[in-house]
Amino acid sequence: MSQPWQVELVGIGSVVPSLLRTLREDLAGILVRPVWISTSHIDPMPFFDPRRGQYAAHSILERLLQPPPKENVQRIGITELDLFLPVFTHVFGAAQLGGPVGLASLYRLRPEFEGSLPDLDRTHERLLKEVLHELGHTLALIHCRIPWCAMGASRLPGHVDLKDSAFCNPCADRIGVPINGLQLFDENP
Amino acid sequence: MKQREPNLLIVDDELHVRESLGHWFSEDGYEVATASSGKEALAVLGRQHFDVVITDIKMPGMDGIELQRRIHETDPDVAVVVITAYASVSTAVQALKEGAYDYLVKPFDPEELSRVVEKACEKIRLAEENVALKQQIASAAPKLVIGKSREMERVMELVESVAATDATVLVRGESGTGKELVARLIHTQSPRAFGPMVSINCGALPEGILESELFGHEKGSFTGAAGQRKGKLELADGGTLFLDEIGEIPSKVQVELLRALEDHKITRVGGNQEIKVDFRVICATNRDLEEAVREGTFREDLYYRINVFEIDIPPLRERPEDILPIAEHFLKKFSSAMGRGVTCLSPGAREMMLRYEWPGNVRELANAVERALVVCRGIEIEPLHLPILTRNTSQDAGDPDDLSMQAIEKKHILRVLKLHEFNVTHTAKTLEIDRVTLYNKMRKYGIERPTG
Repeated sequence: MSQPWQVELVGIGSVVPSLLRTLREDLAGILVRPVWISTSHIDPMPFFDPRRGQYAAHSILERLLQPPPKENVQRIGITELDLFLPVFTHVFGAAQLGGPVGLASLYRLRPEFEGSLPDLDRTHERLLKEVLHELGHTLALIHCRIPWCAMGASRLPGHVDLKDSAFCNPCADRIGVPINGLQLFDENP
Repeated sequence: MKQREPNLLIVDDELHVRESLGHWFSEDGYEVATASSGKEALAVLGRQHFDVVITDIKMPGMDGIELQRRIHETDPDVAVVVITAYASVSTAVQALKEGAYDYLVKPFDPEELSRVVEKACEKIRLAEENVALKQQIASAAPKLVIGKSREMERVMELVESVAATDATVLVRGESGTGKELVARLIHTQSPRAFGPMVSINCGALPEGILESELFGHEKGSFTGAAGQRKGKLELADGGTLFLDEIGEIPSKVQVELLRALEDHKITRVGGNQEIKVDFRVICATNRDLEEAVREGTFREDLYYRINVFEIDIPPLRERPEDILPIAEHFLKKFSSAMGRGVTCLSPGAREMMLRYEWPGNVRELANAVERALVVCRGIEIEPLHLPILTRNTSQDAGDPDDLSMQAIEKKHILRVLKLHEFNVTHTAKTLEIDRVTLYNKMRKYGIERPTG
């Protein structure tokens, strides 16, 4: 796959600017493609469900499609809010499989959510992995069985820590991302 | 073998539930289909098999419980996971009672959803693997290559009738007639087929070792017992214990074996604890056990205990019509294994085979065919490829004393030893006995390696 896709990051609700900047730099380094932060923010309040006290991820994804992203732009929403899908108690993120939009939430990825001490570096790293994961879905990647690949399924925040901030060779190859660094694990377990 | 990915059918009248779940499982790599009602789900299931069906309980028209019932009427292997709201957990319990695999309460934790579906898929995978293994075991069941004569048809009838029971079987027959094969056939046709079949040659081991092999031992129970070890009787738990050469078992072990066979309880050597074991016993012998009982070398009570059902395999010379079909079977088998193009037996070779006594029975016939294939350069086995048969055909049987089993066995052992230049390992392999047995028999018959 060699489409010249690029990544647009969109803040949803209040997001610390330095967090978005760090994320942009990290993503650009890994993907070796243009990554930019949208100047417009999305107001999350229309998507708030007072009964659940959470924000509807599927509705935010629909909102992210307005206006439609330019061709070959993968638009990823970043939020610090707690997200849900109708039948789930929560989600870390959501994406249109093979579609142009995805969404990643920091809310449950913060170490303090699990009762640990705040750790900014770990928070940044978890968000980076979650964004890579949802971005991969927008590029039609499904969950990968290689445990350290960014496309590995993460059901708990701790699972995110087990992954690398990188795609395994087959996943990277499928979406046209350069293969960086030494890969220590067997790719066909 | 690569396993196929399981497929899922999601049934819910609410679009957003179908979309959320469909999307979620698509990301996981499952093949997913959706249906908005029980009726539609049955139509989809009529066209395609699904491993897992995730269905809401509360739906207009046919509810999830009824859908599950209808699915299991036609395909009980489908794992049905029901989804329910918190208020209707009792309905979910009803679904479980009626055969649902599991239930999920809405909204569910993604971790819980994945766990339930992964477990359901694992169950499907194990069930499929189980069926495949059963088929594999069934196809790997030994083919009884001991002929199609009336005598062998009778043997097969006996095998078939005794296999279904748990009765102790005594298989009798000369060396090489296929006693272990018959035992294995009984095991594979019995309800214990999926348990182990554990074999032990009672004639091959000295008393102390045989005792430990049969009953196991505790750590330190004798010099060299560095750790605890389970015996064959314990290892045969749930399966079949095959005691070959039962007539050779020493007196002391006979007493202990009798107790174990009667009580189905054993005590390891050096141990105090009684261990309950469940096994079926098949014994084999080529000895005249009745004579051994009369001589006092074999316990009468043990004899009656093991001789509940007897199967006597006649020697090959008593059923000559089996010789050529068996020879042709081995010819085909070995020719294919060796990658040789030898396809048939010449009329001369056939005649020679029919005239031979076959003291070593089927085992000797197999060895003769294998050896002939090694030396044969054409496409047909000729008499010259069967030199071993020229030395003892029925026409030149010679001294009637030489026809005793012992004399024939001695001659045969000597012949194979010479063939292998007295290499005991190779000879034992050809004779299909272990080296200790061969040494014992050489000692018994006074056979010694030539010096110089």
